[in-house]
Amino acid sequence: MKFYVCIKQVPDVNAPLQIRDGELLQDRDRMILNAYDASAVEESLVLTEEHGGKVEVVMVGPDKARETLRKALAMGADNGTMILTDRPDLDSTAYSRILAAFFKDKDYDFICCGKQAQDTDAGLTGSMLAEQLELPYVSNAVGLNYENEKLIVRRQGDAGQEIIELPSPGLVTCSNDMNEPRIPNLKGIMQSKKKPVDSITPEDLGIDIGSIELSTNILGFEEMPERETGKKFEGDPDEIAREVARLLDQEAGLV
Amino acid sequence: MNTILTYISVSDGKIKRSSLEVLSKCRLEAEKNGLKTAALIVDENASSLAEKVRPYGPSEVYIVEGSEFKNHLNSPVLKAVSGAMNTIQPKVMAFASTENSKDILGALAANQNAPALPDMSEFELTDKGVKGKRPVMAAKIISRVEAVGDPVIISVRSGSYDLIESPSEPQIKKLDFTVTEKEIKTTIREILTAAGDKVDLSEAQTIVAAGRGVRDEEGRKLIDELATVLNAGIGASRALTESGVYDPSLQIGQTGKVVSPQLYIAVGISGAIQHTAGMANSKVIVAVNKDPDAPIFDITDYGIVGDLYKVLPPFIEELKKLKSN
Ligand SMILES: Cc1cc2nc3c(=O)[nH]c(=O)nc-3n(C[C@H](O)[C@H](O)[C@H](O)COP(=O)(O)OP(=O)(O)OC[C@H]3O[C@@H](n4cnc5c(N)ncnc54)[C@H](O)[C@@H]3O)c2cc1C
Ligand SMILES: Nc1ncnc2c1ncn2[C@@H]1O[C@H](COP(=O)(O)O)[C@@H](O)[C@H]1O
Repeated sequence: MKFYVCIKQVPDVNAPLQIRDGELLQDRDRMILNAYDASAVEESLVLTEEHGGKVEVVMVGPDKARETLRKALAMGADNGTMILTDRPDLDSTAYSRILAAFFKDKDYDFICCGKQAQDTDAGLTGSMLAEQLELPYVSNAVGLNYENEKLIVRRQGDAGQEIIELPSPGLVTCSNDMNEPRIPNLKGIMQSKKKPVDSITPEDLGIDIGSIELSTNILGFEEMPERETGKKFEGDPDEIAREVARLLDQEAGLV
Repeated sequence: MNTILTYISVSDGKIKRSSLEVLSKCRLEAEKNGLKTAALIVDENASSLAEKVRPYGPSEVYIVEGSEFKNHLNSPVLKAVSGAMNTIQPKVMAFASTENSKDILGALAANQNAPALPDMSEFELTDKGVKGKRPVMAAKIISRVEAVGDPVIISVRSGSYDLIESPSEPQIKKLDFTVTEKEIKTTIREILTAAGDKVDLSEAQTIVAAGRGVRDEEGRKLIDELATVLNAGIGASRALTESGVYDPSLQIGQTGKVVSPQLYIAVGISGAIQHTAGMANSKVIVAVNKDPDAPIFDITDYGIVGDLYKVLPPFIEELKKLKSN
């Protein structure tokens, strides 16, 4: 069974952020593997460990993001492809087009994407890619099994879960609720250094990256309007509990 | 070209309030820009639901009906919506942001070669397309964005706009639809619905949410009692959905649902940004936490510092008293 996992390097949302003149200043040293993609890598590893097969990872990003690709290899992926670009403003449409060009002449059973990128929370690339490759897909998977050459996907829907059979070739987008991604051990890290990584450019795939005109643009960033911090009640549990109940009734009219 | 089209989300035969919020806002935008407002219902019983959108003023209600929509599978829905867009040629196609609209948004954008802006908290039309705001980085900051194109596809977070009534006498137009088994490709084996009563959290007026601090049966009983007194929906942090204590569809946050109730009571929840990403827009926030430095207190209106097992019993008792008066 052959899996490809599309992985993205994202800034750690827990790192401090600052906005100056509409520009977002982030700690660029704190770049990580998108948590949803880490879950996708983990799940493909578990499935291939059980049923045999290979896991390849692919990332579109700058050369600096290579360390994140290495992390996926250290987790256990067999090899990787870096599609190199320094353009920082690409949107899900652009990424999905580059990935679609990459997958055009590839053989695989399943492509796994994250449900969304942790920084933009867009959640578009996976199904955009599926549509361009004319693949059946399931989004927001919280569990995967493999039976009779099909992925049995547990999908978290709005009200409950659906168990869906996805034939090969197909695409699935993964929630981070499906597993705890393994932390690479020393052996994995050592091995990852010897694993093959292809470096190509969008131009190699027939895409002139300079001329991509984006149809969505970020105009700037703003602080979240701050909530006024309210009152904190400390002391005797019985007293403060009753007091807050009364205030919810009197001040907020919510009882 | 002269229409703003709103997709009406249906769940369990009922129209989701969040899609009527989007329809209300779209009607205002349409009026401002001299456009028509239309609604699209894709459902097994779409015809019987048309009447329910009338109060929100569409001039047309498009209907796509078929048994294929009984169980959510994305390929028939995608085919229905892209077919409707080909016929209607809307300037904007707007969705409420739900797991089912997220499911098809990207594919629809690729199919229509249209830009997509997901999870907007504000939007308006421009000469070139749509601009607005969307929370990013686990809703730590707001990104101002624009999409240039015709059509533009957007989804809108629940609670971003109020319902506004403005009844109309819409034309009901049924669109032809067929899909072959071959086109559907995926098959549904089973649907596991959450046990218990199904309060739609994205529409609940009051939510009681439990976190890791709720550590046992006794704690869950207190949560149930509190929710009952307040007639509230129950939500949970990832700590408790992941461990299977609460149903995964109750998870609130970046991975889970975005909610915007009048009252949100967080019990034993620390307030990690991935959790607050889904609830910081609640009108009034109450937290019960024994750690006075828990980050949740940064966004609460009423913060109760204390052990939930000691705080909740008198809290529930006092609420009962106030209610019976
Ligand atoms: C990509 C990503 C997405 C995520 N998405 C989500 C999401 O959608 N939703 C979500 O919730 N999380 C999400 N998380 C996880 C999130 O980061 C936190 O780990 C999680 O929210 C913690 O849950 P918690 O507050 O219940 O538990 P904890 O952080 O362990 O907090 C428990 C709190 O309970 C208090 N407490 C303990 N005992 C008592 C007591 N007896 N009385 C009163 N207070 C008590 C403690 O002081 C503590 O503050 C996500 C994480 C990642 C990386
Ligand atoms: N630059 C990229 N390189 C590889 N995969 C990506 C890239 N951007 C997005 N993806 C994949 O698409 C998913 C959703 O991204 P997004 O549409 O940005 O939310 C991610 O979780 C990845 O699996």
